[in-house]
Amino acid sequence: MRKINNKISNKTRIVIFLLLGFVIFLISNRVDELRVYQGASVAVYVVGIASIILLTGYSGQVSLGQGALLGVGGYAAALARNHWHASVPLTFAIAILAAAAAGALLGMAAARLSGPYLAGTTLALAVGLPSLANQFSILGGEQGLFFDVGAPPQSLGADFTQYKWFFWIAALATLIVIFWLQNVMRSRYGRTWKAIRGSDVAAELAGINIARSKVLAFTLSAGVAGLAGALLAMTIGTVSPSAFPLALSFSLLTGAVLSGVTTLGGVILGAVTLVAIPEIVASVVDRLGASEGVATNLPSLLVGALLILTVIVLPNGPVEQFRSKQRAKVKKSH
Amino acid sequence: MFEFINTLLIGITSGAIYSLMALALVLVWRSTRVVNFAQAGQALASTYFGFEAMKHIDNFWIALLIAMIGGAILAAFIEMVFMRLLLKHTSSGAIASVAPIIATLGLLEVIRALITLKWGGADVLIKAPLSNTGFSIGTHTLVFSPMKLAIIAVVVFLLSILSILFQKTNIGLSLRASAFSPELARLAGIRVDLVRTFGWALSGATGAVAGMLLVVNGNGSLSPASIEFSLLLISGFIAAVVGGLDSLLGTVIGGMILGLSTAFVLMYISDSLFFIAPFIILLLALIIRPQGILGKKGGRRA
Repeated sequence: MRKINNKISNKTRIVIFLLLGFVIFLISNRVDELRVYQGASVAVYVVGIASIILLTGYSGQVSLGQGALLGVGGYAAALARNHWHASVPLTFAIAILAAAAAGALLGMAAARLSGPYLAGTTLALAVGLPSLANQFSILGGEQGLFFDVGAPPQSLGADFTQYKWFFWIAALATLIVIFWLQNVMRSRYGRTWKAIRGSDVAAELAGINIARSKVLAFTLSAGVAGLAGALLAMTIGTVSPSAFPLALSFSLLTGAVLSGVTTLGGVILGAVTLVAIPEIVASVVDRLGASEGVATNLPSLLVGALLILTVIVLPNGPVEQFRSKQRAKVKKSH
Repeated sequence: MFEFINTLLIGITSGAIYSLMALALVLVWRSTRVVNFAQAGQALASTYFGFEAMKHIDNFWIALLIAMIGGAILAAFIEMVFMRLLLKHTSSGAIASVAPIIATLGLLEVIRALITLKWGGADVLIKAPLSNTGFSIGTHTLVFSPMKLAIIAVVVFLLSILSILFQKTNIGLSLRASAFSPELARLAGIRVDLVRTFGWALSGATGAVAGMLLVVNGNGSLSPASIEFSLLLISGFIAAVVGGLDSLLGTVIGGMILGLSTAFVLMYISDSLFFIAPFIILLLALIIRPQGILGKKGGRRA
């Protein structure tokens, strides 16, 4: 029964993604500035969450330091842009490569670790790495660096806003990343990771080099995280240690769990939730007239509670839950 | 020379506090095989309990006791309500190994948000019961203040109680049995669930002491966003890993190694390495002796 999902051919998927891109393009022309900016944030989160799903859901490793890798990408992008005046696509490519290199290093250490050891090590990294920015003057210390992708090209018209330009870049990058990740998951490597996640002993007996494929997963995931970091830096205009706090790593992990870590299918759910919760809370608090303390703390309370609930009630995420129900139905009817 | 002795003393004091936090993590790990990342939140909450007690009774030591009781109750509550549910629902599947980590992180967020809702985000002060200024010899000042001495005394006292509990009493025996093999312990008539809850309560009380001492070892201020408590969690984790996650004595040695080496790095190399030094120590520990100082061979991949 599972084959059905995989039978969609590559050509059809390309068409689907092009259609999706066109719909997003149409929507971006209809809504106001704030929504466009939020759309760009959602796109950033989608890429960040996808990097965690690749790592945790597919290769079974957990990283609490994904925010630090986003930071590497953001700083690399800012340095490339400010010092070498790299073009926009090249800037993002450099961000991806820099973060992937950092991820490869981390992955080599991580391949020896598992479970709580890996979680704690990456957590220590997430706390430690941002403070490195204060060590080197080229990284701009606490203020950080400016990062400007430039104004939208003239050919798009005079009333084409900056935020829309951000959104276009972020949305395009997101579509490409998700498409590419789906391909990776279906490739030999994707199957290898699944095998390791299922049972590393069995995978090793089948001739899989476990350490190497774990490092590969870490490297690819870090590259995707680096892209997310560069996109994040683009939307806020600067990179600084405070832009990549521990809380960012936690939010991404929350988003991944809400989306369901074992599938890319629900990745948008987590991203939208992360962007929407502060908005919803703000409007509710506004209506009820609660104090400021409640307004600033309710979002993290909700996110934390949602995280615990999801892990207990829907450990594999809503999408996977829905799919397994469907599978059960199909089986019954046969 | 004075500089050297001072660094040594600072290192021992902070090492003692790290050891306590590491002990709290190890107690949970031994009883449930979960690294409890919410421990920092629990310690923070317990310290606020202590702060609340200080408002009514102006005695730090009684407040410390109340913080311990509060921390123990909180931890037992978390174990009974969340952990049992969690382990029941996610015992298998792709996420099984990751679920406890993620859930305790969620718990950390929730606890921190609740604290801010209750006590506000601003700093509050806990007055140290003893002076934190060192005594002078001639023109030099030794940092060995009465407060630092008291901190070390409290930690040593607590450690002796815990090791007596583990080595000499029936409760300790059932704790060790449940950690070693829950199935066998159950067959021997031990109520493993109850023992687990007790392990968590012990850990909660230990974490509470770590939190209270951390605050009075510093400048006495306490806030929900306190970076010191995040660092306490990470230092505790690193100390536990250096010590091998399973042995109480190893944990204390790990805490001391971490405290001393951080103090010396900050004093003699650069104080801007404050966040990086513990991470480097963790990496060194994982590379040189992955099974921990007193750990057994080949345990780390499980």
